[in-house]
Amino acid sequence: MIRFLASGLYTSLQDLGRFGYRNLGVPVSGAMDLRSATRANLLVGNEPQLAVMELTASGPVLEFEIPAVIAVCGASFTPELNGNEITMNRPIEIPAGGVLSFGRPSKGLRAYLAVQGGFISEKILGSSSFYNGITSRSHFAKGDVIRFNGDTQGFLSLPSSELEGAVHFETSEIVAFRGPEFNELPNSIQLLLNGEAFTVAPNSNRMACFLNHSEAISAKEIVTAPVQPGTVQLTPSGKIIVLMRDAQTTGGYARILQLTDSALNILAQKRTGMSVYFKIIDPLSDIRV
Amino acid sequence: MSDFPTFRTFGAQTVLLDWPAQIDLEIHKKVLTFSRLIRLSFAEDILDVVPTYHSVAIYLKKTTALNHFLQKLEITVLNFSEEDVNHPKIISVPVCYEEPFALDLAEVAKTIGLTIPKLIELHTTPLYKVYFLGFLPGFPYLGGLDKALHVQRRKEPRPMIERGSVGIGGGQTGIYPKDSPGGWNIIGKTPLQWFDVTKDQPTEINPGDFIKFEPITKTEFDLLCIEMESGTFQWRKEEYHD
Repeated sequence: MIRFLASGLYTSLQDLGRFGYRNLGVPVSGAMDLRSATRANLLVGNEPQLAVMELTASGPVLEFEIPAVIAVCGASFTPELNGNEITMNRPIEIPAGGVLSFGRPSKGLRAYLAVQGGFISEKILGSSSFYNGITSRSHFAKGDVIRFNGDTQGFLSLPSSELEGAVHFETSEIVAFRGPEFNELPNSIQLLLNGEAFTVAPNSNRMACFLNHSEAISAKEIVTAPVQPGTVQLTPSGKIIVLMRDAQTTGGYARILQLTDSALNILAQKRTGMSVYFKIIDPLSDIRV
Repeated sequence: MSDFPTFRTFGAQTVLLDWPAQIDLEIHKKVLTFSRLIRLSFAEDILDVVPTYHSVAIYLKKTTALNHFLQKLEITVLNFSEEDVNHPKIISVPVCYEEPFALDLAEVAKTIGLTIPKLIELHTTPLYKVYFLGFLPGFPYLGGLDKALHVQRRKEPRPMIERGSVGIGGGQTGIYPKDSPGGWNIIGKTPLQWFDVTKDQPTEINPGDFIKFEPITKTEFDLLCIEMESGTFQWRKEEYHD
């Protein structure tokens, strides 16, 4: 069992997402940076679909009542075991009574903690991903406890080059396809979207990442139609909204771009004030990212 | 109007089928017919099929090859001869238009120049078409609100509206399936538990169905709440015929 001595800013359980219920308006959810989440699972020998703990901006303080094998991947949160710094991106043994704490990330925004055997958590509509109104809680609070399956299976060692992920955290390039309303935009806006810098605005969260820009751009509302994680919306008042994993399933703003899966993972690690630009590609080309 | 939709990609693993961008009963009938066809024909390839007013999103599994799927889809869609496969139901939804639920009823009645009983009558008369579910889990996009009840949304949205609240705003009416912030004018509340995540089928409402609001008293509301909690509540549904 793991006890939360402190909750962190926004700590939740997330898996690969909740599929099969979008026609009922249920968001997909799942880890914001699926790449890092999957890596954490693989490092401790878990199947990639098991739920991991998602940490955002400031991590929790966790007390382990029984021994565990964990791995932390994603943003560099400088994890400490009983006050001594431990290495990210590799399996770590935690003794009974061990207290795991985290600093502020020096790079990235979200990290993922996997525990060997996987967390034990309610599965609602096929997924353990926390989402307010679907699962009984949306994030962990101080005093909460979470159990895990303690069976050990021996861990996997990934080649270190794959784990460093320098590009994942340092690139400002967000690769995207044209969205359904892209071609209706004036040429000047189309050009701007391919290469101009945008800045991550405050208030970005698991539902949406807001991007600031200095140009006066806007698009008309549309008849409400499907949207998905990675859809970039442009509003009549000129706001750019990138829908993230907890996005609603339908929307009424122009869908100007659609991020690749990999770009969505990259954007999930960007902090307020960071600069990004879009690179537009063609979905039926051979580029599979 | 074209019977067949246009196809286009919407990211690496999504296909959109689109009809002309209108809120129209005939277009919507095709949206539902094709949604069902795709769900049945390509269960192995798809994660989700999401119908809206004039557009269907087909979300493909990671293992489905987009090019190959588009070819199969085209053959299936072009060879489809339309038959009416939708069997809509009329679902009765009890609503209490009394205190303490009808937060904005008196003010809205004043704004649009109707008496409260007349407003309730106009709200409970139509059969509202469920176009699709979106915005929040289980939230129905309804068509059919009487023009006399079209009224602006509240200038200041409320930070919290209780689950089951029934509102009107712009040309729309709807039910909040869970506690959430919102800007609609609240005119009543239903005791029905609209979206139950503990069930494999979390909602009784499907796109294409119709909703009929039935006015109830506060006493009836309280009784229905007890029935919902004890699991003895029976949804009232009947077949809809054109």
